[in-house]
Amino acid sequence: MSLPAFEVTRPRTLDAAVEVMTRYGADAQIVAGGTDLIPSMKQGLFAPKVLLDLKGLRELNFIRFDRERGLEIGALATISALANAEIIERLFPVLHAAAKTVASPLLRNMGTLGGNLCLDTRCLYYNQSGFWRDSLGGCIKKDGTVCHVAPGSAMCWAVFSGDTAPALLALDATVKLTSPRGVREVALSDFYVNDGLVHLNKAHDEIVTGVRVPASGAGWSGTYKKLRIRQSIDYPLAGVAVVMRKAGDGTCLEARVALTAVNPSPQLVNGVAMLAGKRYQPELVEEIAHEAIRTGKPLRTSASTMEYRRHMIRVFVRRALTELWLDGQSSS
Amino acid sequence: MSSSPQAPASPIGARIPMVDSVDKVTGLGLYTDDLTLPGTLVGRILHSPHAHARIRSIDTSAAERLPGVRAVATGQETPVKYGILPVGHDETIFAVEKVRYVGDNVAGVAAESEAIAEEALRLIKVDYEILPAYFDPEKSMLAEDNLIHENKPHNIERDFHHHFGDVEKGFAEADYVREDRFDCAEVTHAALEPHSTLAKYDASDSSVTVWSSTQVPYYLQLTLASTMQMPPEKVRVIKPLVGGGFGGKSEVIPLELAAAVLARKAGDPVKITYTREEVFYAHRGRPHQIVELKTGVTREGKLTAVEARIIQDGGAYCSYGVVTILYSGQLLNAMYAIPNVKFDGFRVLTNKPACGAMRGHGTVNTRFAFEQQLNKIAATLGIDPVEIRRRNLLQAPCMTVNDLRVLSYGYPECIDQVVEKSGWKDKYGKLPYGKGIGLAGSHYVSGAANPIIRSKMPHTTINLTIDREGIVTIFTGASEIGQGSDTMQVQIVAAELGIDVDQVKIVAADTTRTPVDLGSYSSRVTFMAGNAAIAAARDAKQKILAAAAETMATAPQNLVIEDGKVCCRDARRIALPFAEAARLAIGSNDVLEATGSYTTPESSQGGKFKGAGVGPSPAYSYCAQTVEVTVDPETGEVKIDRIIAAHDCGKALNPVCVEGQVIGSVWMGLGQAVQEEMLWENGRLMNAGLLEYRSASTLESPPIEPIIVESNDPEGPFGAKEAGEGSLAATIPAVAHAVYDAVGVWIDTLPITPEKVLKALERQKPGVRSQKSE
Amino acid sequence: MKSEAIRLQVNSKAYGLETEPNCLLLDVLRQDLGLTGTKRGCDDSSCGACTVLIDGEPQMSCLMLAVSYQDCEITTIEGVADGSELDPLQRGFSVEGGAQCGFCTPGMILTAKHLLLNNPDPTEQEINEALSGNLCRCTGYTQILASVRKAVELMRERQPMEVR
Repeated sequence: MSLPAFEVTRPRTLDAAVEVMTRYGADAQIVAGGTDLIPSMKQGLFAPKVLLDLKGLRELNFIRFDRERGLEIGALATISALANAEIIERLFPVLHAAAKTVASPLLRNMGTLGGNLCLDTRCLYYNQSGFWRDSLGGCIKKDGTVCHVAPGSAMCWAVFSGDTAPALLALDATVKLTSPRGVREVALSDFYVNDGLVHLNKAHDEIVTGVRVPASGAGWSGTYKKLRIRQSIDYPLAGVAVVMRKAGDGTCLEARVALTAVNPSPQLVNGVAMLAGKRYQPELVEEIAHEAIRTGKPLRTSASTMEYRRHMIRVFVRRALTELWLDGQSSS
Repeated sequence: MSSSPQAPASPIGARIPMVDSVDKVTGLGLYTDDLTLPGTLVGRILHSPHAHARIRSIDTSAAERLPGVRAVATGQETPVKYGILPVGHDETIFAVEKVRYVGDNVAGVAAESEAIAEEALRLIKVDYEILPAYFDPEKSMLAEDNLIHENKPHNIERDFHHHFGDVEKGFAEADYVREDRFDCAEVTHAALEPHSTLAKYDASDSSVTVWSSTQVPYYLQLTLASTMQMPPEKVRVIKPLVGGGFGGKSEVIPLELAAAVLARKAGDPVKITYTREEVFYAHRGRPHQIVELKTGVTREGKLTAVEARIIQDGGAYCSYGVVTILYSGQLLNAMYAIPNVKFDGFRVLTNKPACGAMRGHGTVNTRFAFEQQLNKIAATLGIDPVEIRRRNLLQAPCMTVNDLRVLSYGYPECIDQVVEKSGWKDKYGKLPYGKGIGLAGSHYVSGAANPIIRSKMPHTTINLTIDREGIVTIFTGASEIGQGSDTMQVQIVAAELGIDVDQVKIVAADTTRTPVDLGSYSSRVTFMAGNAAIAAARDAKQKILAAAAETMATAPQNLVIEDGKVCCRDARRIALPFAEAARLAIGSNDVLEATGSYTTPESSQGGKFKGAGVGPSPAYSYCAQTVEVTVDPETGEVKIDRIIAAHDCGKALNPVCVEGQVIGSVWMGLGQAVQEEMLWENGRLMNAGLLEYRSASTLESPPIEPIIVESNDPEGPFGAKEAGEGSLAATIPAVAHAVYDAVGVWIDTLPITPEKVLKALERQKPGVRSQKSE
Repeated sequence: MKSEAIRLQVNSKAYGLETEPNCLLLDVLRQDLGLTGTKRGCDDSSCGACTVLIDGEPQMSCLMLAVSYQDCEITTIEGVADGSELDPLQRGFSVEGGAQCGFCTPGMILTAKHLLLNNPDPTEQEINEALSGNLCRCTGYTQILASVRKAVELMRERQPMEVR
């Protein structure tokens, strides 16, 4: 499987990278770790004329924290770097947990945070070879008109399958983008669009440069639960990120729950705010779990069935909330 | 043996590294795709996008005109049919009139680069008339028209109907009769090395040389000759290192012929290496199999009759199918004493890639069904699953009702060993809810007693040369595919000749330089090539001792070779170094030559009924396993905690290799048990890659503890039998049994996914859970 | 697409060659430099057979554009042995049966190399975690685990513990 022909530009500065995007516009595509784009290019899903290789942008490879600005992570920080960062493990356990589950150690060494956030949406009918897709006549996302997951539907249901996005959503992170028009910072929840075709609120020439997690989220307990068949390599079939801030007596002060791999975008679950000020009650947990499966709408985009993925969202929310809520409490 | 004070360590039973291991750990060993000849072109194959279609026309002119394209080939040029079985010649190199599955081979291209070859494929225009296609074997069996092959009515490749004893009588004698339907998903080998072939045509003498990732160089030579219409002696097949086979390379795979045809046409060498997706279309894996099984037992659990109706979804071509369906019935036997056995087997064609031989060929899904049903029966009758097996053991040596000869039978000891080591008695039925232990057994042939192409020729021949420095070189057709074939032969020859393994070199699997061996399949190599190696070494030894005896002024029968020296039995002090003795035997020749062959004894070759040829083997391996699991009743997830596998390999010639084979088999069985599955939708494979076909990583792979049981087969080389396949089948029913023990549900459909467990738990009658926890 | 002159640093040797921007490092290593120990096992970057070390870290060469890896030290399986002396990992894989068909072996050894450099006495779980992106179809990983443990043992023998 050969790659299509393209030129590679390897700028050393962000300014130079922005210039490349200005010059080539839609002909250019951004690559960093290559873990998402290169296999997709082998399958003929993309054929840009120019690849903008960001790996040389040292300025975007950092992880830093201070009490004022919070946690800042450059887009080029690798997933391994996230998973190994002591500050993240200590203060943002949900992100640590999520990063550790991304793909495999080899892929985490290559994949970057920027790439993981901008991951293309995935689907059984889309992530196939050119030969395979031609045999089917393409799909709504590529070379066709029908969504084979929901043939009556006018939209594409390919799912967003990143692991770090739900963790960062739960942490109320913002994402920073740079373009010829300048810099903008947008809430991660506004960065995603629930449409498998266009799932990022990002102009083609915008470059994601990093994310920022408010310092207010530091020290919240958190966990990430991922459904997959193998404990390595696999993309999530469903993922649940949960964070919670508690009072000394175990009262929940604030909590957030986010889902991934069940919709075209990662989603914050509604109604979780009502947990504020409450002591642990199984009924409350059940209510949020129920809310979660109203938010998560898995279809047949992956090997596992939608029924099972829905079931697992419920189980994961239930387990994660219970774990976090009862952590440090004597179970009585 | 004599009581020499320093008896030299025999290489037999020694834990020595494989002879090619240094090549493998340094990356210097060469696999087919690592080879390149000057001017090598890239070959690519055009595949059918349709599951079933008639080819109205093919226009290759645009592809031929593309600069850099050196040859384009289509089916009309090479219409000779081939197939691994003489009764199943139904494939052509490229489709001639019809395509029969998505991925079928339509045309080939050789070009100066991969990109040009791929572009050329896009330029080939094929006009198809799409035909109705069949994907479900039970529906395909009802087909009246649009048959996949015109000469196969109802799309049935072959059916067999065997009846040994009298099952009606057997069921009448039974106190308990049970019927179940089992459904086993299709799985594939997924060897890590994608198939690869390099072919070179020499116009000066009209010969072709093919380097290929194959388990069967000899069959490849014959098939290249027949399809290219060349005499076999003009075809040379060389097998470089092979990166795993598991049966997926045990017959001729389309790229092997396509590369040779393109090389002949282009006049330059052509290499084709499959993409991983193409590997999945080449397939030849284990078919989707439906087993309707009925078993009768007495109150005490004694088997009275077994009746099986088996349907295999064989895909679009015969491949090994006739053998696979026969194995699935024949090897109901030779495990337990069953007086009455009936088998109705149907190998059905569908519009999907051909299934073929995969590790545990034909036996695995039937064994799952049988062992699962036996465990259910034991549970119903309140008999310990260990005990019900002990009550039905064979009394070896014996002949089974279907004329299989069993000489060595280590199964009872395998059971004893796993029961002991696992702490079975304290665990089965006694672990807390969610934890369980299961038990099952399995067996396999040590090579087929009857070759695929019936003949009186030996199954394998080994030649030796010994040079003046005493270096022994083995010339063998046997194919090393990672299982230790080369190492085994080196060890045996060194042991027989009383020399160090470092003194023995091996030249293997080159059809011009090495004698005929049928290939590495059906676990035949240790038994057959091992016996041939003994025969060849003895031939050499006899010649050396005869020459040494003259010099040492004694009779040859007084001499032995030990520790690299020819010694006199009575007076060991007078010793002649091996090399010196060899020089005496060489005399005025260049080297000393010796040869040995192996043919199965007639008594092992089975009965006379239709289909009797498949199943017979000179020896059977046996295996018993316990599997411990934790089942999460809320998610249905099954975590494998521990597997103990006792395998009767007759004699472990090299315990590292035997353990590696047993562990590898168990692990592959585990994959089939819980997570591997080919997913189809309208004839399209949904998971034709290693990302979506989920071969386990380290993290789902539990500790597997092998136990070697040595029953010392009377005909095996040093008592050895097979080790590389027999353990696979037991893992699956043992996992299913452990799931039952953990949460009380039987899963009869493979793989045992969390969702299936969960659904079964939802259907479970209330109360089961409390019973278990009490 | 123009071909480009590039320089690669592989196994401590500098190579200059012409390549096209869309050439994968995997193919350049195998076809241009003749370093065929690095294997291709899949096309969707899931198997790890093509693992090389990039500045000491295991990564997959099937995902790398060769032109983009000119500033790195690349180590392939051919660079692991010290002259004719095998690395402890290579010896471990040889004696413990860690290499059956041998196709995953180069990737396994390189990944394990990185592990042992950073953690000379890993637990079983740490070994499994580290190797979890390298697929093997032959061994069930049991003998690979034993091979890595053997290497740990050999390394310890080679470097006797310092007396404190």
